[in-house]
Amino acid sequence: MKTNLRKNSKAIIILVIIAAFLFVAARGMSGRDVLITVLRGFSTGSVTFLVAAGFSLIFGLLDVLNLAQGTLYMIGAYVGWTVYVRPDTFIDVLTPVLLILAGFSLSALWGRLASRIQLAPKARKIISWLLILAGFGLLALVLTSYPIAIWNLNNYSESPITYSYMADQGLRIIPAEVTFEKISPFLAILGLLVSSAISAFGIALLNRDESKSQAINWRRYLAPAILLLIGVLAAVFNAQITGWMFAMSTNWLFVIAILIAILSGVGLGSLMETTLIRPLYNRPIYQLMLTLGLGTIGVQIVQAVWGRPEFVWPKPEFFTGTGGACPATNLADLLEYNCSTVFLLGGRVRVYDEIFIPIVGIIVLIVVWILLKRSRIGMIIRAGVQDRQMVEALGINVRRVFTLVFALGVGLATFGGALAAPSTGLTPVMGERLLLSALIALAIGGLTSFPGAALGSLLVGLIQQFMIKYGQIGIPLPFTDAVFKPSPPLVPASTVLLMVIVLLILPGGLLGSKE
Amino acid sequence: MKNNSSFLTKNRGILIFFAVMLLAPFLIGLFEGSTPLMIWGNQGSLSKFIEGLGIEIFILALFALSFDLLFGITGLLSFGHAMFFAVAAYLTGIALKTLTMPFWGVVLLVLLAAIVQALLFSLVLPRVKGITFTLVSLGLASVFHIIVMSSDMINLTGADVGLQGVPVPAFISPVIERLRFYVIALTLLVVTYLFYRRFVASPTGRVCVAIRENEDRAKMLGYNTTIFKIVAMIISSLTASTAGMLHALYQPIISPAVADLAFTVTALLIVLIGGVGTLSGAIVGAFAFRLLDFSLRRFIGESASFITGAIYVIFVLFVPYGIVGTMRMRQLRTKQGWQQLLGMLKSKN
Amino acid sequence: MSNILEVKNIHSFINQFHILQDVDFVVPKGSITALLGRNGAGKTTTLKSILGLASVREGKVIFEGREVQGMPPFEIAALGIGFVPEHRAIFRDLSVEENLKIAERNKGDLDRKRTFIFDLFPDLKKFLNLRGTELSGGQQQMLAIARALVADNSLLLIDEPSEGLAPVIIEHMIDAIRQLSEQSTVVLVEQNFLVASKLAKYFVIIEEGKSVASGLMKDLEADKAMIHRYLGAA
Repeated sequence: MKTNLRKNSKAIIILVIIAAFLFVAARGMSGRDVLITVLRGFSTGSVTFLVAAGFSLIFGLLDVLNLAQGTLYMIGAYVGWTVYVRPDTFIDVLTPVLLILAGFSLSALWGRLASRIQLAPKARKIISWLLILAGFGLLALVLTSYPIAIWNLNNYSESPITYSYMADQGLRIIPAEVTFEKISPFLAILGLLVSSAISAFGIALLNRDESKSQAINWRRYLAPAILLLIGVLAAVFNAQITGWMFAMSTNWLFVIAILIAILSGVGLGSLMETTLIRPLYNRPIYQLMLTLGLGTIGVQIVQAVWGRPEFVWPKPEFFTGTGGACPATNLADLLEYNCSTVFLLGGRVRVYDEIFIPIVGIIVLIVVWILLKRSRIGMIIRAGVQDRQMVEALGINVRRVFTLVFALGVGLATFGGALAAPSTGLTPVMGERLLLSALIALAIGGLTSFPGAALGSLLVGLIQQFMIKYGQIGIPLPFTDAVFKPSPPLVPASTVLLMVIVLLILPGGLLGSKE
Repeated sequence: MKNNSSFLTKNRGILIFFAVMLLAPFLIGLFEGSTPLMIWGNQGSLSKFIEGLGIEIFILALFALSFDLLFGITGLLSFGHAMFFAVAAYLTGIALKTLTMPFWGVVLLVLLAAIVQALLFSLVLPRVKGITFTLVSLGLASVFHIIVMSSDMINLTGADVGLQGVPVPAFISPVIERLRFYVIALTLLVVTYLFYRRFVASPTGRVCVAIRENEDRAKMLGYNTTIFKIVAMIISSLTASTAGMLHALYQPIISPAVADLAFTVTALLIVLIGGVGTLSGAIVGAFAFRLLDFSLRRFIGESASFITGAIYVIFVLFVPYGIVGTMRMRQLRTKQGWQQLLGMLKSKN
Repeated sequence: MSNILEVKNIHSFINQFHILQDVDFVVPKGSITALLGRNGAGKTTTLKSILGLASVREGKVIFEGREVQGMPPFEIAALGIGFVPEHRAIFRDLSVEENLKIAERNKGDLDRKRTFIFDLFPDLKKFLNLRGTELSGGQQQMLAIARALVADNSLLLIDEPSEGLAPVIIEHMIDAIRQLSEQSTVVLVEQNFLVASKLAKYFVIIEEGKSVASGLMKDLEADKAMIHRYLGAA
């Protein structure tokens, strides 16, 4: 214990100084201001933590700095918003996405077939690229004529802003349905399936030798079959499901939106890892540049699809009640009237922003912690962070764990985006801002340390919120009557300053390993 | 005399480039029917337009060159590189507009600021390495970006609209004396490139390369690697600041986009297209990037930046050595092939 | 099938470096084979090549009648090869128990092998909840060997088991390896010729990336000139 103390003396001193700062800072405020600021700090910290934790898991095991993490956070928010505000668009998009996935998940089967085909290397290369191009061409053809109900960025009354605003007022606009016109439904479904299967076959043919030792069993057919089934069902019962979702309580819709956001993150993550990151494992700088590039592309896509202007994600019913005994003073009232605010220590606290988000953050922290400490996957991750070769030498498929961790890390980011959006709103720059906070949090806490990610995020959240609060009330300067009001730019600047100081004293971060 | 000729042969490529670029406005002027004399007098719209495009490319190339020195040669990946450029651009604008300083005073001030910034980064250099340095540089530059964008600074920087109405001295005004501006930018680029070539070949430059390859080994050989990194940082910062100053003088608006991470990524993209660590790749890449961007914007419009992003990803995945790097390897391979062939012939004889 | 492993004229690379240039030997089933040679001769790389951790560009590695070169390491290991690397590679963030548990290939492997492992290394039982790196060098070595025993491995590749250990502990280690060789075939890399000669029935000498001699250990022990030539003074 004593050696432990000595080893971490610098970290402890820094923490004590920060705590003293926060304490001194809090003294100038009333009790309820302190409470609200601390709660907000926890809230910001929680969202930062979700992104930072994914980042740190990925970096720890895979050595990949996923600089697209901020963009993925943003994508989570936009995807969740779409499910929540425009379920019809979501259901329309669901069918093609699932069918394409079904087509591509046949690649395991194709690998077997492709390995039987004997071709000269050059011919194989040309044929497989032709197949891939043909597949994608056909896919583009079918997709462009596939009917998807979507908002219109150029017409204000049909823009995401209007849909959000009306939904927030409780006056949901039910958009007109779009129907199959340019293409028959049967042909569309077949086209999607066939085109993605062709490209998958092309890809399988291209890297034939990888699938040499894969055994075929019925489980390999299960995933494509399920995807196909759900996709077709979603197409057939499109109108019914859409109607049902529009009529659904917003609480359930919110849960679905969050789940879809997480799932899309997991999907995107595994896709990124298997197709783009994997070829670059022995070129780390290029990996970093790749994720950076993907991040920028993602922002462009979001701007093109959802537009540049900021809009809101209306909070679900459970957090918007104002009638009855609201703002609530006890738990029973809160649950009965679904109050949007509660009274705590004489201050009004927003339930979603300042209570719900921190609780979710803490739950995720505990769940991931248990996953790391108690599950077999967690054991493999902890071992793999240290020595990947040895883990492989034990007969464990580390590559699969890589994909899993990448998917999980991205899933955490998209979760964070969907969770934060109802409180912060959606803008195409939200990802970049959060990535910066998350990176600072990690640099402070230690890049590969999971507890470090939590501690760093919390510190960043608290400092940001205290600075914002002081921007409103001002800091009385000692020995003078002057009041110093930090302006908004000083908020991120203060966290960067903390990061630089911590790194100068402890290059590995507070809880990072010493090199 | 002999020395002189070896200088010419060694730098044949860049000198040809210099000559071609000098003649280009006049040649293009012929197409629209303007005599060289008219071009000399800054008439003729097409050649003026081409000169403008050229100036933008030269500025980008200078910026990318400075980034390649840090990243490609010394192995320091800074995500705050745009800050050097942006600080110079804003400082030029503010000094000319708000402080109404004389032009040469501004130049001096900007160069001084460049050195100060490089030293600021150097403060953290000995402590943090690799990825942590990247993060610190990103953090520092983001703070600057945020400050520039903030509404408190609107009188100085113009916040998110950008800094407008900078009074440019008449003798280098890009409106009246565009040809002169063009030649100055081109000359600065060529001279900087030649200096960089010399620097990389010098003992100091070679230590920088050694740091990129294996810093610990360079340390074990007795080099104080930090000092070499600081030297590279100062040179790079001076170059980027020169580019930033040219930018401020040339563009009617200094947009806060030049302080953004995306602008550093642009430099990275240019260097990647041209070839990391090749120096000449920065110039080739700047041409490729700007012309591509220009034509894409013209024919496709909004989604141009998306395609630029896609090209970036393709380069990372499939052309990691860039245009210049790949060409050099080809050349090397052909050379080796020739030598093999010659060897076979000789052995038969 | 009398040979569990056949290594046929392999050439292996680590990064760009051509380390093994024609290594060729067989390992008879149910015995201990020692790979001998000077430092840097390529013994460790040979073990890594068998497992696929070093890339084999030419030649064949045949394990239990199956060509394994070019397969990913985890698939080769899963065929039944246990690996005890140089410097032990104990996972420091895992407890002793977890260090064993992670080697399970099927659920319950550890429970079935528990008595066997703790009979061999009674010490480990006392430290199950300690972290891997809180053990002494000898205990870490035992843990590394125990880890290779958890799954059903018919072949064990053990690299430098006596390195850095006190003589008393080396004796204990020799006993343990001898006992476990009754269950699986062992390929042993060993600098200490005394240890190797006590354990191994067969030997292979590797010199500058090539296999230069092989045969019965007792013949080698008699041939002092050969020992001197390839292994230095003995």
